[in-house]
Amino acid sequence: MRIIGDTNISFLSYRKIALGLSSAVILVGVAYMFLGPGLNLGIDFIGGTQVTVKFQGEPDLDRIREALSTITDATPEIQRFDEVEKHEILIRIENPGDAEGDFTKPILDALHEEYDSGLDGVFDLNTQGARELADRLADDDPDGVLGDIEDRKEHYSAPAQAVLGYRKLQGMFRSVDDLDQVEGLSPQVLAHTKMIAGTGEFALLGAENVGPTVGADLKKKAQLAMWFSLLGMLGYIWLRFQLPYGIGAVAALFHDVLITLSALALFHREINLPTIAALLTLVGYSVNDTVVVFDRVRENLKLHRGEKLEKQMNDSINQTLSRTFITSGTTLMVVLTLYLFGGDVINTFAFVLLIGIIVGTYSSIFIASPVALAMNKIMVARRRRKRQR
Amino acid sequence: MDKKIIYRIVLILIVVGLAAWSIYPPSERINYGLDLSGGVHLVLQVQTDDAVKAELDDAGLRLVSVAEEQGITLGTAISDPEDLSMTFDVPAGADRAVLSEIVLDYFGDYDVQRGADSWTLKFKANTEKMIRDQAVRKGLETINNRIDEFGVAEPRINRQGIDGDRILVQLPGVDNPERVKDIISKTAFLQFKEVLGGPAPDRASLLQATGGSLSPENEILPGNRTGFEGEVIGRDFYLVKKVAIVTGRELRTARRSQDEYGQANVRFDLQPSAADKFGAFTESHIGTPMAIVLDDRVMSAPVIRARITDSGVIEGNYSIEEAGDLALVLRAGALPARLIYLEERTVGPSLGHDSVVRGLRAIVAGLILVMLFMVIYYKLSGINAVLALILNLLLLMGAMAYFGATLTLPGIAGVVLTIGMAVDANVLIFERIREELKVGKTVRAAIDTGFGRAFGTILDANITTLIAALFLFQFGTGPIKGFAVTLSIGILASMFTAVFVSRTLYMILMHGQDRVQTLSV
Repeated sequence: MRIIGDTNISFLSYRKIALGLSSAVILVGVAYMFLGPGLNLGIDFIGGTQVTVKFQGEPDLDRIREALSTITDATPEIQRFDEVEKHEILIRIENPGDAEGDFTKPILDALHEEYDSGLDGVFDLNTQGARELADRLADDDPDGVLGDIEDRKEHYSAPAQAVLGYRKLQGMFRSVDDLDQVEGLSPQVLAHTKMIAGTGEFALLGAENVGPTVGADLKKKAQLAMWFSLLGMLGYIWLRFQLPYGIGAVAALFHDVLITLSALALFHREINLPTIAALLTLVGYSVNDTVVVFDRVRENLKLHRGEKLEKQMNDSINQTLSRTFITSGTTLMVVLTLYLFGGDVINTFAFVLLIGIIVGTYSSIFIASPVALAMNKIMVARRRRKRQR
Repeated sequence: MDKKIIYRIVLILIVVGLAAWSIYPPSERINYGLDLSGGVHLVLQVQTDDAVKAELDDAGLRLVSVAEEQGITLGTAISDPEDLSMTFDVPAGADRAVLSEIVLDYFGDYDVQRGADSWTLKFKANTEKMIRDQAVRKGLETINNRIDEFGVAEPRINRQGIDGDRILVQLPGVDNPERVKDIISKTAFLQFKEVLGGPAPDRASLLQATGGSLSPENEILPGNRTGFEGEVIGRDFYLVKKVAIVTGRELRTARRSQDEYGQANVRFDLQPSAADKFGAFTESHIGTPMAIVLDDRVMSAPVIRARITDSGVIEGNYSIEEAGDLALVLRAGALPARLIYLEERTVGPSLGHDSVVRGLRAIVAGLILVMLFMVIYYKLSGINAVLALILNLLLLMGAMAYFGATLTLPGIAGVVLTIGMAVDANVLIFERIREELKVGKTVRAAIDTGFGRAFGTILDANITTLIAALFLFQFGTGPIKGFAVTLSIGILASMFTAVFVSRTLYMILMHGQDRVQTLSV
């Protein structure tokens, strides 16, 4: 089976159109990033607190906003998270100025005050951990273990873990009757836990706090990683091919990164550590494509001496076109499954790769080779001038 | 069969065997990162400025008290942490030679600037660095001890940061960050307690001695068992009286010192109120051990040699460094410097669980799609590629298990990406073989050139990706490092499977046929 047969498209003759199109997209993107709303930097880089909470029913965002309004002057950002029927929301508060500080506890306290103030004195199965339950059971000792407190804690740690295991699978407890479905509880422990426990309106799924010091640090590291990767690739391609090819490949990479960043800004996607990882992966992937073409150019140059570089490049792109499409296609397939089924946490990561693979494939054909060709022309002309002098 | 083929098959089987052996059993061998297992991740910074200030203040107190013993009364020393120095006035009639000797004996870490009526003691070049370093080490040790008490399976506690003043704490499976923070930052509490039994390797054997039950006045405390070099080699338990003889609040100061044989020890001074109690107790307990308890953990249990009143010596097989550390702990409580939290991440158990399920679902779906495509597009050769792909995943998992690498959420994405990239090597080879066949080469020749030519391309292309992964690893933290590791291993494994294994499969296919007419590709 073949999808792309023998082609003879004169890709390089479209280089002016391609260059113009790419420049226009990048210009709009950069303008949007720097003059418009800009990049949506996550708390990894700007510092702040981010809390993910799951509610029993449809959460009323206004009510939550109201409850949180007293915590700080900064307005908390509240978003729905994941699928709507899961009733999960994400609360984000930026750190005021340069202050290190964690808002997790104030946020949870405010939510508790608003939703679960009736539960005071009751053991909340949705916010307390296994260790707290084990401690509580060890104190109350429904199984009548007696002995040292340590022994009792040990005895009750298994049932407490089992109770938490249920929350792990189900997300939260709807009512204390859910405890009936937990395996490994003795009748006494079950009855006693039902008696002391209640189920709060919300459960904490995750919390992150990054102070400004670490934020600035992470930002610096992300930038360093990006620049060093680009330099490393320039160096390697320079070494294995020639300088014009290195410049062509790195130009294509700049192109890919800028367009992907623009897309992130445009769709208001949050930029966090995994997003940076995805950007660097895309850099690796895109240069991969470019190298395959350059490799073919090098081979063709040896086989057909005397032919013009432009034609050689065009032939090489055509010869590798089938491979380019199949590889991009299969990678796109897996990234698409990641994008669709990977869940909310990994979604932006997949988004970057999705955009990146498309742009990266385009750029290795329409940007890398034309730039390498142009650089080659410039360098040949300069060498000639030197010789004449 | 051809020897060459047999060698190749044996090598492949060995690699597969090693991979399978290192993964088995999978539930124990694959480490999940915090983002998948749920847990708490904290980055703390040790405020080493505190330690510098404490050292200067303390040096001032020590100086005044030592000078007093030698009959010189000094005023209060003024410390200047910015300048790393402390200054004191020298009274007109004081014997400067004696003072010089004191400084030489007790303040070897300082340079002296002798003025007309005031002297300044200033840190020597390395002193500041040493003190800051010591503060972080102490913080690390204290956190280690406290987390240990907390009883978390496989905690990870490391020192990091450019200045080395940050401490990373990762506690998988812990679901309540506030409680962890409470335990870490509670102030240290020092107590001297009477030892009734121990050391013993476990609680039970201690209780045996007392008839199996613990009286309400006593308690059992854990302590570190140390080897000859002072390294921790295990745990010991001690039976001690609950009520302390003297607590850290009644301590005036402590300092490193040495006995007449040059053995390092720790000298401490008690406040007058405590001296009487301590004197009475030690007099009646000469020859028995006394526990020095910090945060409910026995630091050491030296034997009382003589009556101790307002000042005493803690002797043990201490190195100079350990004696210094212990003195520091006694002076300042366990934490000579405050800890502030720079970063906190908590992943709830259900979020982590959800991520694993979804990630695995995406991997499986992606894998099936790619495999289907390869078989449809390249027919029999596609099956070859599918086998290589399965092997690649096995090798990836095996290598991760072997190196103890951690699987993180971005790491799962790395696996997905590896699938895409691993197929690329096969695609490059197959496309090349098709080209060679088209220009009229025989099947054998086409396979030979296909693999030969494609290998150079695969190498170049993969090295560039490895460069990106390398810098990700270098500058990345936590989950990102996990991603870089997964990606790198995946790329290396794909070179083996797509090139070596696929080639071998072709060899087996061709074997015994003199002229192969067609190739399903």
